[in-house]
Amino acid sequence: MAGLATNLPAYLIFSLVLFSFGLVAALGRRSAIGIFMGVELMLNAAAVNFVAFQVLRKGVIANDSWLHGHIFSLFIIILAAIEAAVALAIVLRTFGSRQTIDADRADELRG
Amino acid sequence: MTLVDLFVAFCFVLGAVAAFFTAFHPNILYGAISLIGSLVAVAGIYGALGADFLAAAQLIIYVGGILIVILFAVMMSEDIYKRRFFEGARKYIFPAIAAGVIFAGLARITLGADWSDVTKPDFEPTARAMGWALVGPYALVFQYVVVVLLSGLIGAVIIARPAVKMKQLDEEITKSGEE
Repeated sequence: MAGLATNLPAYLIFSLVLFSFGLVAALGRRSAIGIFMGVELMLNAAAVNFVAFQVLRKGVIANDSWLHGHIFSLFIIILAAIEAAVALAIVLRTFGSRQTIDADRADELRG
Repeated sequence: MTLVDLFVAFCFVLGAVAAFFTAFHPNILYGAISLIGSLVAVAGIYGALGADFLAAAQLIIYVGGILIVILFAVMMSEDIYKRRFFEGARKYIFPAIAAGVIFAGLARITLGADWSDVTKPDFEPTARAMGWALVGPYALVFQYVVVVLLSGLIGAVIIARPAVKMKQLDEEITKSGEE
């Protein structure tokens, strides 16, 4: 396990684990908040990948762009924040109108 | 094995275990709390990669902001100790298969690729450079994000209003339209 901190595939596998659990939570949870937590996990997995590639493959990327991955991850974090605000507003509204946040029961729009 | 390697290994294990509980814990409240573990582990990994600004942003925005809002929503909206959302493993079969297939495929690609040109990271502080980048080459994107944040917040406030107030608002709007 020596050199784990500079081992790019280890970071990729870790982010893949986060992504897989996030996918399971987003598809399998019945609560709207559970689905939302799964989406957060997947966003985090993507952000980890951006930073890991940026930091550990610097030689492959052009020299003047040593921060692109960091900036991209920062925007992911910011947009996740606003996504949280809107999603939870919808959750509270749904709960206010039908006393449950079970995503399977919000089915008025079913065709 | 250096101290940094040990720290990264700890973060990997913490993040994976916490993500497992986030996906599978029957009580949504404990799922939300274990999400803290995943996000803190990701912040630690940012730190180990030398992305100091991102590690701080992750802690402040995610752990300090988003998670508090999630916990707030969980406690506002659920009879958390009685209601169980995990009603049998049946609903998890298809997601688990899908995630397993994606995991196996991507892991095979990742481990089969040639990563020999990986460079050693150099740990310069990034905060100053990122500040300049946000007002320099990324100024336009930054402004887009500002607009998205503002419109998102206004939208969230309007959506979260109680239904009665929405009706009042509709009436007020029609009235002011008639005048």
